[in-house]
Amino acid sequence: MRGQKLGAGLIAQNQSALPPFILYRPTSLPEAVDLNEQHPEAVMAAGCSDLVAQIREGYEPEVVISLQHVNELRSISHEDGVLSIGSMVTHHAGSTSPDIRAFMPALATAWGSIATVRIRYRGTLGGNLMARRFRYELPVILSALNGQMHFQASDVTTLPVSSLWDRDARSPGILTGVTVETGSLLWYGYERSMRPVSTVALAVRRQAGAGITVTAVCGSEYRQPFVLSHTAAATAISDLDPVAVGAVLASQLPDAAGDFTGTAEYRRHLVGVLSSRLLARAAGYQQK
Amino acid sequence: MTPDAQDSPSVGDEKLTVDLEFDLNGSPERHSVPTSTTVLDLLRNNCGKRGVRGSCERSVCGACTVLIDDVPVAACSTFAFEIDGTRVETVEGLAAKDGTLSAQQQAFRECGGFQCGFCTSGMLMMTTALLRENPEPDREEIREWISSNTCRCTGYEMILESVERAAQLGRTPQANGEPQ
Repeated sequence: MRGQKLGAGLIAQNQSALPPFILYRPTSLPEAVDLNEQHPEAVMAAGCSDLVAQIREGYEPEVVISLQHVNELRSISHEDGVLSIGSMVTHHAGSTSPDIRAFMPALATAWGSIATVRIRYRGTLGGNLMARRFRYELPVILSALNGQMHFQASDVTTLPVSSLWDRDARSPGILTGVTVETGSLLWYGYERSMRPVSTVALAVRRQAGAGITVTAVCGSEYRQPFVLSHTAAATAISDLDPVAVGAVLASQLPDAAGDFTGTAEYRRHLVGVLSSRLLARAAGYQQK
Repeated sequence: MTPDAQDSPSVGDEKLTVDLEFDLNGSPERHSVPTSTTVLDLLRNNCGKRGVRGSCERSVCGACTVLIDDVPVAACSTFAFEIDGTRVETVEGLAAKDGTLSAQQQAFRECGGFQCGFCTSGMLMMTTALLRENPEPDREEIREWISSNTCRCTGYEMILESVERAAQLGRTPQANGEPQ
């Protein structure tokens, strides 16, 4: 809170200390985009769980644009091999969506495993991504799927989810949603049994020419997710050696992945174990 | 001076307050509050609903759980402007007007689902939401829902039993008719 930000030390929590802001509540995407252009310093409010936490941590937004009533950002669809998820879709709505359950049940399962029931009802796809917190799980889950974020300003900008930490905090517009190409996807899985030390999301895709690409993303509490990839000259997942591929993926994890909760070497070990476990599962079930 | 009566802060021509209308436990409410007001602040300070507990203030412990349009929400991490036009329920709305306890309250009392009682209002609201979503949850589903909230006293076993008992009571006619 403000007192803590000013170095006041440990003070009693007083919600009245939250600084008020100018609030806009648009009811359509064009209106929200227009407001964002008028107020480029504005912060977008989705489910607000993280925004409230940020403000308690000392963030003082002058202008907040609530996307609560922009209903076009709540859509989910699957057309022509592309799954599209609106940025205001909550974790609950996403993990129980008939479209996602039908076309990517493993994504629905992974999405439904994060946070708690209460937070899943409130937290949104957009909020989870744009909070840019290392410990949040959707960047890990969607980076493995090569998810693409779409931002609306005067133009549309598309960026991979894996690029969340490649640029400064300012977004190139309002995040309208994320798309995932499902046509070439052979299998997907998410391992969070070792969270918060390490999580691994793993996707297996068929290459356009020949071969199979395995993409694993390693997440952890205090380090940004790392994308690891290996392409093998195989025709089926069962052709892959899970332990060997796991070792190749683990070897790509840089020393920067280490922190005081786990050395880089320990994380490489975990990535190897979790990746090979997921690949063994993939070879057994061969489902998306 | 009540919080509603404080001067409206502003920046230039922009007011830093927001006007709200919502239904609270079946009664209409109208307030004008600073934009940064949380639901927890609003319900406790402006509406007098002290059963809504403030604790972690990070959406983690669940002591402040209220229902907004039937969905469990952490009041500490929800801005008041988000409940404009919604239906809000707190623990004060569970019992019947004549004081008859709801099925959830009866069950928690029967099964000893609380000790110090600080988390109880949040637990009761999570239970209410769960039983509306699924009147016959199994132990695993109850565990999944209740793990959203923290209790430092009971070790959870008696809370799980309380929720099962509430579901059982909900399947038999109750004076208060909750959960349905």
